[in-house]
Amino acid sequence: MRREPNVSRVPVSVRRVPGTFYILIIMISLASITIPGFGTVSNLLNILLQGSFLAIVACGATLAIISSGIDLSVGTVLSLSGVVTGLALHAGIPIALAILSGVLTGLICGIITGSLVAFVGLEPFIATFGMMSMAQGLGLVLSNGASIPGFQESFRWFGEGVVWKVPVPLIIALVIVACIWWLLRHTRLGLYIYAIGGSEEVAGWSGIEVGRCKLALYSISGCLAGIAGVLLAARMNSGHPTVGVGWEMDAIASVVIGGTPLTGGRGGVIGTMVGVAIVSVLRNILNMLRLSSPWQITLIGAIVVIAIGLDILLRRWRLALEG
Amino acid sequence: MGDGPLLKMVGITKEFPGVKALKGVDFELRAGEVHVLVGENGAGKSTLMKILSGVYRPDSGRILINGKEVQITSPRKAQESGIATIYQEFNLIPYLSIVQNIFLGRELMTNTAIPRMNYREMRVKAKELLDSLGIQISPDTLVKDLSMAQRQMIEVAKALSLEARILIMDEPTSALTSREIEHLFDIVRALKASGMGIIYISHRLEEIERIGDRVTVLRDGEVIGTKDVSGLSTEELITMMVGREIGDLFPRERVSKGEVALKVEHLSRRNVVKDVSLEVHYGEIVGLAGLVGSGRTELARLIFGADRFDHGEIVISGRRVKGDHNPSASVRSGLSFLPEDRKEQGLCLSLSVANNVILASLRRLFPHRITSPRREMNVTLDYVRKLRIAIPSPFRAVKSLSGGNQQKVVLAKWLCTQSKVFIFDEPTRGIDVAAKAEIHGLMNELAEQGAAILMISSELPEILGMSDRIYVMHEGRIVKEFTRDEATQEEILRYAMGGVGGAA
Ligand SMILES: Nc1ncnc2c1ncn2[C@@H]1O[C@H](COP(=O)(O)OP(=O)(O)OP(=O)(O)O)[C@@H](O)[C@H]1O
Ligand SMILES: [Mg+2]
Repeated sequence: MRREPNVSRVPVSVRRVPGTFYILIIMISLASITIPGFGTVSNLLNILLQGSFLAIVACGATLAIISSGIDLSVGTVLSLSGVVTGLALHAGIPIALAILSGVLTGLICGIITGSLVAFVGLEPFIATFGMMSMAQGLGLVLSNGASIPGFQESFRWFGEGVVWKVPVPLIIALVIVACIWWLLRHTRLGLYIYAIGGSEEVAGWSGIEVGRCKLALYSISGCLAGIAGVLLAARMNSGHPTVGVGWEMDAIASVVIGGTPLTGGRGGVIGTMVGVAIVSVLRNILNMLRLSSPWQITLIGAIVVIAIGLDILLRRWRLALEG
Repeated sequence: MGDGPLLKMVGITKEFPGVKALKGVDFELRAGEVHVLVGENGAGKSTLMKILSGVYRPDSGRILINGKEVQITSPRKAQESGIATIYQEFNLIPYLSIVQNIFLGRELMTNTAIPRMNYREMRVKAKELLDSLGIQISPDTLVKDLSMAQRQMIEVAKALSLEARILIMDEPTSALTSREIEHLFDIVRALKASGMGIIYISHRLEEIERIGDRVTVLRDGEVIGTKDVSGLSTEELITMMVGREIGDLFPRERVSKGEVALKVEHLSRRNVVKDVSLEVHYGEIVGLAGLVGSGRTELARLIFGADRFDHGEIVISGRRVKGDHNPSASVRSGLSFLPEDRKEQGLCLSLSVANNVILASLRRLFPHRITSPRREMNVTLDYVRKLRIAIPSPFRAVKSLSGGNQQKVVLAKWLCTQSKVFIFDEPTRGIDVAAKAEIHGLMNELAEQGAAILMISSELPEILGMSDRIYVMHEGRIVKEFTRDEATQEEILRYAMGGVGGAA
């Protein structure tokens, strides 16, 4: 911890890739060799497409976790905004407004949890846990528990369209990831999120308005869940009230696999993308192997633990090598 | 600026649950003066300063800057009113870089269409600041990789970057050794000459006459008096502070030393500790002197098992340390280590005083694994009395104690283990003169009862006054061993700075 005469060290900007990156490479190589059809362009594109939705949601989770908070509500908020968009479309509202209503639903959920955390002082776990349940319930109420299928072509483009062979959701996800990366790297809010995660007290004593930053980050997280919900509805051609069940866990797992510790204060969105890739590749592999859903759940849990455990071992090993 | 004082605080009161921390304090600061604030642990110094820096709101009282009343409702307001603070407890974020920490809350932005952080400019400014403070560290270094002393200097840099009119320094030297203190004093003098008003809190009384112009004494939340430093004797000051005479600062009676308690041979870790050999006998207090960064703390951490060593051998109470050396095994084999960083390694801040005191002694106190609140209470109260820890109740969370009282709790925690071998890293950091004398008395008592003590201290008078033998470290090596009679302040410093064949 304490290496005294410090001449120069790796600047912050050249952070290493998370160790789990190598695990991703190994997974992909092994799968391409052993599973026929895995390495094809269409399958890889499919993985990227599937991962896009999770990537968007995980961006928000990254912000929450860096601030040493957590957002448990992203999955059900995603469902809720899909339902709202579906209802709006069925009511004949113009597409742009329907999309907006879905995104706004997410944003409003985020603002509510953010305010609860920032100004009422609820623990993020409690506030977002409450929102998780409320959004789920509301989605079921609004949809009568059934999915809302069948949208017009122009809306579905957002889910299944392609631009120069690149799926639209992937493009949107890339733009969002770039924005969040930029936010964390180059804006005050980004730095303050790290600072709050490092020490809320110190951040406050440095003149940072901690409450406002928290409100902002949970709002962003909600808004992103809203966007993902709309895109997923477009992709599946239906707004389903329980489509997002468990997504918050996938998102949190991606963040943690990506090297952002739950204690906050460090990490970043690039790592999270490695995590998203690992989770998505894994789901794809398990699907190709035609494993039943319970087995998938079991294996995903195991892989999360193994990935993070290996990362810790790798780091220790590297430290020993450096010495 | 008029002739009136730069800052006036009038009738400030502040009450915490169960504690009247300030009872109507008046305080005044002129431009271009260093006004020293002294008082026992828990007297209310830090609280008064936190009111000035916007961390706490006073229950009543007024604050005037240049004769105009100001409302300091938040740290940001304080900054805007030209007040910069170096807090007693560290105020840096470990996983951010030096640049990010220095400019936290006041980042420079580019004036492009979409403004973003201007790290280039911040880095240049930070580098200038660091250079002016004589710190040779890349501004991109993460704060977590810095030593306590380096962090302290970064705090100074952060405060200076505010270009404030009023600078509050709450025990800035408690983590520094003489060389950095010299440097800091030069800076303080320059700031003073430029018309800044500086409030300076310290328990090192010798510092008062070196840089203070006036001194105000606080006791139990009240001002005892404000005096000019010139013509004020140390005895007078101490009497004002504690309201009674205190005993000899370094009482010494030494029994003959016993067997070897701790033996270290050719111990090395990378390039922080190089081929160190030393021994400490039962009944002996051994001082470990050296500049900041000389590897003293690192050596202690190796012995305690907090870090792994590459080569060498450690023998504790006749038992050779094995490969699986770790802190918990050390505690079990009767080695106690009082770390220098009380906030991170010394205390569980949100636990009560009682919980902290017994934390390292559970095995001894409750051999049947079942705790008894009565026993816990009695043991704690015993140490509270012995060390004069000022607390309303032992159930109070440690984080609400004053800095010095927190330090006493760490001490109590390790004394409570009744170990036979102790390593103390800066045991009296932030502790007031009276309590210091008591702690020194306790250490002597321990030695008399046969304990072996290795004491790291940056205060040479403490090293000279307490030690039977003194090792001096420089750049990871032990470069000199003194007996009690050979050692002088000058000689120790000469070796510590590497003046005498340091690299040999
Ligand atoms: N946040 C808090 N909650 C409760 N009590 C507090 C809090 N902060 C300080 N106190 C109490 O107020 C009193 C004054 O504390 P303060 O920190 O001002 O002392 P100090 O003079 O700075 O002492 P030291 O020399 O040990 O740093 C102490 O009794 C302390 O326990
Ligand atoms: Mg204090």
